[in-house]
Amino acid sequence: MIRVQQLFKKYQDGASETIVLKHLDLEIKTGEFVAIIGPSGAGKSTLLYQLSLLDKPTSGEIWLDEVKTSELNEVEKTAMRLNKFGYVFQDYALLPELTAAENVMLPILMQGLGHHEARRKAERALGRIGLESKIKSLPSQLSGGEQQRVSIARAIAHNPIILFADEPTANLDSANGRVVMDAFSEIHDDKQTIVMVTHEPEYAKRAHRIVTLKDGRITSDERGEK
Amino acid sequence: MKQFIERRKEWLNALRVGWFLALRQVKRSNKGTTALIIFIMVLTFLNLVVVSGLLLGLISGSFEQYRKSYSGEVIVTSAQGRNYIENSQALINYIAHHPQVTSYSARYGVNVQLLGTLNDNPKKNERPNRVSGRLVGIDPISEEATTNFSKYIKYGENLDPNEEGYILIGATLLKKYSTYADANIPGFDFLDNVDVGSRVRVTIPDSDNGGIVKDFIVKGIVKSKVDEVSTRMFILDKELRRLLPVNKEQYQEIAIRTDYANAPALAAAIKGFMGSYAARVQTSDEAIPSFLRDIEKTMGVLGNALSSIALVVAAITIFIVVFINAITKRKFIGIMKGIGIKPLAVELSYVFQAIFYGFAGSAVGLILTFGLLKPYFSANPIDFPFSDGILVVTPWSAGIRVAILIIVTILAGFIPAKLIVRKNTLDSILGR
Repeated sequence: MIRVQQLFKKYQDGASETIVLKHLDLEIKTGEFVAIIGPSGAGKSTLLYQLSLLDKPTSGEIWLDEVKTSELNEVEKTAMRLNKFGYVFQDYALLPELTAAENVMLPILMQGLGHHEARRKAERALGRIGLESKIKSLPSQLSGGEQQRVSIARAIAHNPIILFADEPTANLDSANGRVVMDAFSEIHDDKQTIVMVTHEPEYAKRAHRIVTLKDGRITSDERGEK
Repeated sequence: MKQFIERRKEWLNALRVGWFLALRQVKRSNKGTTALIIFIMVLTFLNLVVVSGLLLGLISGSFEQYRKSYSGEVIVTSAQGRNYIENSQALINYIAHHPQVTSYSARYGVNVQLLGTLNDNPKKNERPNRVSGRLVGIDPISEEATTNFSKYIKYGENLDPNEEGYILIGATLLKKYSTYADANIPGFDFLDNVDVGSRVRVTIPDSDNGGIVKDFIVKGIVKSKVDEVSTRMFILDKELRRLLPVNKEQYQEIAIRTDYANAPALAAAIKGFMGSYAARVQTSDEAIPSFLRDIEKTMGVLGNALSSIALVVAAITIFIVVFINAITKRKFIGIMKGIGIKPLAVELSYVFQAIFYGFAGSAVGLILTFGLLKPYFSANPIDFPFSDGILVVTPWSAGIRVAILIIVTILAGFIPAKLIVRKNTLDSILGR
């Protein structure tokens, strides 16, 4: 489903140059739950940004099914992010003026669905991760764990093909982290493809597959406990 | 065609999402900040409407006073080169029976000299206490009905139709009351030591026998911001006619009161009755001196200039508000773009917010203008040297300014939103 060929990424800052990803090859199949781990600076998040089309690689190619992503323009990439991807950010990234349900509704509305249908889908997604009672709560009225679960609901409510998660437990205590990981496990049980970056081996083990990065290269690619 | 329909659908969807975001951002934003922004917009609106309205109102107040205190809605004067209105009596009969005429005042005037000190001869090299001016004969009853004349008698009393030997003098001619007296303008004389109760001597120049002379007692001082009233002297019409003598049927000006909206039709009817050779017929608007029209134009230009500045201030205010709002939410804008929200929808959300501020400011401004300021200035006009300034603003002119303000607001909201939204999505998310 996702095929990465010779992915290379470097950042230029004046005269200095930082190579973050060094000619990576990777393939992620439909329904896999892949955890990308590695030490700080290994290039985990950078890889996720390339895969999720938030950033452009310096060279190499990413294929999504039969689509060569380097040939997509910005509008097409935005449409792909809306219709095929779901995102869970490290710091929840909920819009503070929107309630939990409204945050979840937003991408659904953008897809063109009516307000009531979007609301219904949002409520169903929130129910799926056990937040029925928090539908009308603003992010400021939710705990960190609850906010992250709302973020997960927003990422899955429009039925994406791939769910990307960037350090989803990094800002949470261990109890809330486990709750969030439970949510990912349940979503994966429904055959949802998940690509998750984490620096916590304990959570990575709950994935289907663990890809380890070091200095911009894949150093291991092994099965998780799932 | 299919592409057009698709694009239209995308636009409508972006509008819908933009509205969804804007509504909630306004509803749940800090109330104090929202109130402050709306307050600034109200001030901007007032700057746009009220300042120019007051400038125009100074002149409009002058027009209104000219109409109310002197000309009526229609004024008939003698034709160019004639001493009086031809066939005056027939015209008066026509006016008196015209259904649209509420009242009228026919006047006859003559240039006279007025001597203020009757007993002392002036010393050597000292000018006599004398002024030249226009003595107008009026019927106090019809004048009162037409111009509410007694309202302008600031000191003393009005003329009594049955009491001769009295005169009213315009305040501009008297040193004690004239606002020009302290200017000491060469050739511009004032009567000194003349007040209500003083005895004055009127001399009507006459080439045959050296002039007609009669003494009067000053019964009142007339003060108006219209020169045609405050630079004249008034005695009973019948007394003036006996002095001259002048034909009973001859008049020089007839001020006619009618409904303001009927004035052009009435003027046309009188023109049709009289013909242009016999008299000059004008509505009050046509009769207004050209210098006032020039001032009106100047005030209009000034008002527009100030309005333009107000618009620029409004644009900058909205720009700054939206820019700060957007830049503080740059991360969230990046996240929205990251999860696939179209940039246009995000931009539109800021435009809608800007429109909200523009509309809210205009709405409060309109309520203040029409509910408070306009009635206030009508009841308490600004005391301007040549007029009582009112606030000139119509729903139409205010509506146009609201529309201009909203257009400016849309642009001022869109540009900063566009500047922030176009930034790299990942940089925005990561705060780089």
